Amino acid sequence: MRIRTLLAAGLLALVAVVSLPHAASAADPGTSDGQALVTCVQKALKDNQAEIAKKQYTNFTNALNDCNKAPSLFAPAASELIWGTIAFIIVAFALMKYAFPALRKTLHARTEKIRGDLEGAERAREEAEEQRRQYEAKLGEARSEATRIVESAHQDAERLRQELMARAEADAAEARARAQDDIRLATDRAMGDLRTRVAGLSIDLAERIVERSLDRETQQALVESYIDAVGTSGNGHG
Amino acid sequence: MLANLLPNINEIFVWKGMFAQHSLLEFNKTALMAFVSSAICISLFWAGSRRRALVPVGVQNVCEASYELVEEQVSVAAIGEEGRNWTPFFATLFFFIFFMNIFEVVPGVDFPATSRLAIPLFLALMSWGTFIVTGFVKQGPRYFWRNISPPGVPTPLKFLVVPIEFFSKYLVRPFSLAVRLFANMTAGHVLLAIFAIMTDQLLLARNSGWYQAVFSPLPFAGLVAFTGFEILVAVLQAYIFTILTAVYVSESIHPEH
Repeated sequence: MRIRTLLAAGLLALVAVVSLPHAASAADPGTSDGQALVTCVQKALKDNQAEIAKKQYTNFTNALNDCNKAPSLFAPAASELIWGTIAFIIVAFALMKYAFPALRKTLHARTEKIRGDLEGAERAREEAEEQRRQYEAKLGEARSEATRIVESAHQDAERLRQELMARAEADAAEARARAQDDIRLATDRAMGDLRTRVAGLSIDLAERIVERSLDRETQQALVESYIDAVGTSGNGHG
Repeated sequence: MLANLLPNINEIFVWKGMFAQHSLLEFNKTALMAFVSSAICISLFWAGSRRRALVPVGVQNVCEASYELVEEQVSVAAIGEEGRNWTPFFATLFFFIFFMNIFEVVPGVDFPATSRLAIPLFLALMSWGTFIVTGFVKQGPRYFWRNISPPGVPTPLKFLVVPIEFFSKYLVRPFSLAVRLFANMTAGHVLLAIFAIMTDQLLLARNSGWYQAVFSPLPFAGLVAFTGFEILVAVLQAYIFTILTAVYVSESIHPEH
């Protein structure tokens, strides 16, 4: 729609530009020039009427010569000045009052939009950066915590190991001591039994040998002193 | 020989009136081109400013880019940030002059309205009035003295400098603005007309044997080259007129410059 309007306006302008000057120029150029010359001569006659009556023709001749001169290129034509001024006033009013303010409004809105978007993006970037910092801090804390936990676990494990080792050693020592006690008791018990049996056997043996030559208490004492001697001798060898 | 071929120069500048002939309101081709330029400016920027898409395309893009070009290269470049408020005026000036200039190379028209002194003179006088009024509004009456008495000039030299500055800033500026635009466009118009006539005569109208075969393409090549050159001149002259106006306005706004 907009393109069609523009095309129509352009076409209209082109037709006007091409046709109007050509139409104007198509008229016999002598007609308008002749009219201008007649007007100029009439004016020269009228202006110099008094001098012509006195048969003084200098000014009249100069005026007639001026009529034949082509208009100067450097003399601004009053009509062109007027129409040019009107054309500029129209375009200045239309553009400065309506078109440019609308254009500036659009540009300003776009500038504000871009500025807003950029500021929003900057804010989002800063927030993301802040979150990243927070995550990194939390990650660091988590790593420290994990390290601390692992360290603590190591320490606990070590302590537990040492406790277990100590306890195991204590248990082992206790078991060993208990075993030694048991061994000692068993030895003592065995030695007592052995002593008793050896004494009995010896007595029996001695009774058989001596045939009751000694009383019971004496024999017992003799056997025991013998066993002690044997035991001492046995221990010393053993 | 060439002089005999060329028509009276007024035939390419002075146009017959379409109506109100020989009156103060005679409407000729110059006036028509001024109005056509106005119509093009208005149509273009009306179409460009009507659609307010966030992502500009087509005519909106062209208009916005053109407007921003004037804003950055003229208003802000000459005046600074404060100059943004002046952009509508400078943009109007630039595009009005540009479209009048560019008709110099538009087939069927072949005539820049600025090659007649009237419109450049009006624009220059308006520019002159604008910077003087702006100076008076911004700085008060002392603007008139401050403008022609540069700071740091020894008093004895002021007798020399002040008249020169007065002559240069208050009297010459409007005429230099007007004549620069008018003379450049007139010269371009004459140049194109001469090369067009030479092309017509050497390539088409005359038959001079080998001479024609050898030399006739030259004016045509010149015509093509100068047509391209005149497009550049059309843009450049519009820019120069506008940037000079902006510089003068800047002097009125910032007295220290």
